[in-house]
Amino acid sequence: MSKKGKRKIYAVLILVITLLVVFPFFWMLMLAFKTNQEIMSDPLAFPKALSLENFKHAMETLDYLNLYKNTAQICILALLLELTCTFLSSFVLARMQFVNKKIPDMLFQYMIIGLSISPFILLFPVYRVDIALGIRGKWALIFAYAASSVSFNTLLLVNYLKQLPVEIDEAAIVDGCCIWQLIYKVILPMSKPVIATVVIFNVLYIWNEFPYASVMLRDVSDYTLSMGASFFKGTYTVDYGGIIASSVMIIIPELIFYGIFQKNIVEGMTAGAVKG
Amino acid sequence: MYWLSKRRYKIGLFIPSILLYTIFIIIPIGMAIGYSFTKYSGLGKPVFSGLANYRRLFKDTLFLRSLSNTMEMFIPAFLLLLIFSFLLALLLNKKIKGSDFAKSMIFSPAIIAPIICGIIWVYILDPNIGVINNVLEAIGASGLKQEWIGGDKLSPYSVAVIYFWQQLGYLTTIFIAGLKMIPGDIFEAAEIDGASEVQSIRYIVIPMMKSTISTVSILIITGVFKIFELVQQTTGGGPNHLSETLVTYSYSMTFASSDYGYGMSLATVTFIVSLVIVGIYSAIFKEKEV
Repeated sequence: MSKKGKRKIYAVLILVITLLVVFPFFWMLMLAFKTNQEIMSDPLAFPKALSLENFKHAMETLDYLNLYKNTAQICILALLLELTCTFLSSFVLARMQFVNKKIPDMLFQYMIIGLSISPFILLFPVYRVDIALGIRGKWALIFAYAASSVSFNTLLLVNYLKQLPVEIDEAAIVDGCCIWQLIYKVILPMSKPVIATVVIFNVLYIWNEFPYASVMLRDVSDYTLSMGASFFKGTYTVDYGGIIASSVMIIIPELIFYGIFQKNIVEGMTAGAVKG
Repeated sequence: MYWLSKRRYKIGLFIPSILLYTIFIIIPIGMAIGYSFTKYSGLGKPVFSGLANYRRLFKDTLFLRSLSNTMEMFIPAFLLLLIFSFLLALLLNKKIKGSDFAKSMIFSPAIIAPIICGIIWVYILDPNIGVINNVLEAIGASGLKQEWIGGDKLSPYSVAVIYFWQQLGYLTTIFIAGLKMIPGDIFEAAEIDGASEVQSIRYIVIPMMKSTISTVSILIITGVFKIFELVQQTTGGGPNHLSETLVTYSYSMTFASSDYGYGMSLATVTFIVSLVIVGIYSAIFKEKEV
């Protein structure tokens, strides 16, 4: 077969695969505008009229603004906590001098054990720890999320900080920097790329996380987005239209976010995997 | 740097991280294992019961069922993902017009909350209102209609397919990153020597991508043992716990039945099973390298 013909076949193949992958999203969007009646009686038909009934009903049942607010709040606080902690500890492991070189290695190994731990073994014990420490609701999630990211962040940050040249620190010290100035004014600005990766990875994790949220959150007023998505199934009559409209409202901002930061997200997620 | 490496700085800067990590990750693992040797209903204190929970496991038909469901989900998911994400990476790496756009579309399910993936697929797989069965009926192939979810057979396979959809683009991107690291002149040399495309994949790409292949494999193994929301949304483990996987069964024993000791022994076993599979994989993989 000619090279051109081959390339045409490849192009068609790519198109078909793309359409197959995207189809569920389109299907969902279409269903969101159908009434419950239409979904049940004639699942394949296009919506007769663009009914906004499902969205109205979903919004009456759940306060979406609040879901967004809670999720954003938890996301920001967990990120602040984990970045501060892991950046400082990674700085110690990667750039400070130890008389016994084995100590930083051992600490590093200890800090990355978490990568192989499944969250499902932790749910209940972490819940007990929170009770013992008096941590509740959103704060329980903030600590759980921040702790879950320690291993991943340590791995990425230590590897990155290690490859910055030592001369930078020496020059800074000769110029009279104290340790805080060195960290804050010299090393931190140089670490922007790796911090961007860490932030993207963790924002996606927290935004989508469900198991911890389902265990820790009791009040509907504390609910995060993923809890909102599961909310409609709790009712006895399955409200197909409500569930799907709810999902659309949660998914659209996520897809827009992906559209804008697509390159960074893809890079961040794969960098994490390749280095892990 | 030496002047600033004082012990008190080192300790002070390290303590927040190690405390956070030890309190919320390491100690809880110990607690989980500890609880797995007790009987605990949440009221009063856990009562030590030795290996009773573990003995109960092997007599529990639901546990054995969820173990076999997990394997029925794991094997197709592993094979589908490994093979197709590799092939798709080769395809998308050919610099065909529009493949960048296709790549970003195929990647998109990976950023969506798993719980929403589960919800979306209910509308495709559901025996009554789902797309597949209704299309089959519309084209006059009602005989092929299946209980894709909610029955007692196909649910694990269906979940494997959903997971495949969700992870395909992500793993493909990792393979593409691996492909980009192979120097281009090797292919030119192979082409001059008359190697066919299949040959150059077999003798150049696969051997040079060993570390990427093992990264992807381990991501799939650990990933499948974290599937939770997909099962929860599509079947809820039902009917009668028949479609539970190890993860959902341990979750339901712990949080729905409040049988905390038993739930923790299930969680511990699940964790060990996933480690064993990673171990088996690495053993096989190392052997091949020799």
